[in-house]
Amino acid sequence: MTRYMIDKLLLEIDRSDESLAAYQADPAAFVAAWEMAARSPVPPYPTGGRLTEEEREAFCPFDAGRLYAMGSHPFLLWHVVRALAGAGDVQETSRRYVAQIEPYGYPDFTT
Amino acid sequence: MAEIVLALGVPHTPLLWRLLEPEVPDDLKPVAAAFAHFRNLLEAARPDTIVLVASDHFRQLSTANMPAFLVGKDPLMRGTHPNEVRHFGLPECQVPGDPELARLMVGHHEVPPGFDFAFSDEMWLDHAYVVPLLYLTPSLDIPVVPLNTNCNAPPIPGARRFAELGAHLRDTLEASPLDRRVALVASGHLSYELGGPRQFSGGPSGPEFDERALEWVGSGDIEAALAGCTYEDLLEAGNLTFQFLNFVVCMGAARGSPASSVEGVVCRFGTEPFFAWDMA
Repeated sequence: MTRYMIDKLLLEIDRSDESLAAYQADPAAFVAAWEMAARSPVPPYPTGGRLTEEEREAFCPFDAGRLYAMGSHPFLLWHVVRALAGAGDVQETSRRYVAQIEPYGYPDFTT
Repeated sequence: MAEIVLALGVPHTPLLWRLLEPEVPDDLKPVAAAFAHFRNLLEAARPDTIVLVASDHFRQLSTANMPAFLVGKDPLMRGTHPNEVRHFGLPECQVPGDPELARLMVGHHEVPPGFDFAFSDEMWLDHAYVVPLLYLTPSLDIPVVPLNTNCNAPPIPGARRFAELGAHLRDTLEASPLDRRVALVASGHLSYELGGPRQFSGGPSGPEFDERALEWVGSGDIEAALAGCTYEDLLEAGNLTFQFLNFVVCMGAARGSPASSVEGVVCRFGTEPFFAWDMA
């Protein structure tokens, strides 16, 4: 498990309107570009990252339940879920999200 | 000398921002009233500077580089990140700093004894800072020294360290030649969950923790608070409850004095904390 990399990608998706739109348009292309960026990192904050096959699958398409079970940071995960849901009813988005994650209880989210 | 004239503990629930105007829903009226009351308390205390204890939510600080305690020492800081504008409708803003007071804490050439603060010359304040400031000092004209605590990315400093931080802060200010009236404002939560199964459940995620916490603050019983704030205790109350520890900084600064005002306002977001310690 590389929880840090999962969290880093969650941060990247929600970072700006542009990155959110790019991920929504094509999750696989977004993740591939992010992984490619790690090959030539821009200092001082290394760009991009690397994922395991299982983690990549959880992002393509976005699977909140799997990412939660893997120990992604709940604050970051929820905000991406909210961002992907757009201007919809937060309560309804939350109900659907909780149904997905509830079976997994409280996985350790330390990096 | 510098002195802490008032300490406040307040929430920073960012979803409040769109809900508290133009018309305040019934369950949030006491929250709006409590912020208005605290705004008056702060004005009456006439602070020169606010030391604002809060925890960035991965907006500027990620676990690529995560300091336990960090002081912002820049003269002017940017407030609110673009994704917070999108999520919460918060206004982008600028907040003046107090580099002189910040340097008192982090040192000039050598780190002073007591706390090895990390420092920042380019703080970018997230909603944990901006929400309290917008309600307590809407004109954003009082200089702020941000004191960031890591309450979101384990490993989180132990509760005792937060109490020691408050005591250290007060001792440092009182021993300094700087002439400052300081308001210590802590931004945090009682029991709170986001991203976990108990989120948006319509009330507090850990009502029993909230009851205990209100007692600790009301009695000033630091040791009881420390005993009840292990990592496991806080996680059990809700996965973001760690930010309660920012109020323990105020308890430490108050040196065990009971808070002069203790209110837990129960609303749709849980129990919103409003604590005041009159130190003048």
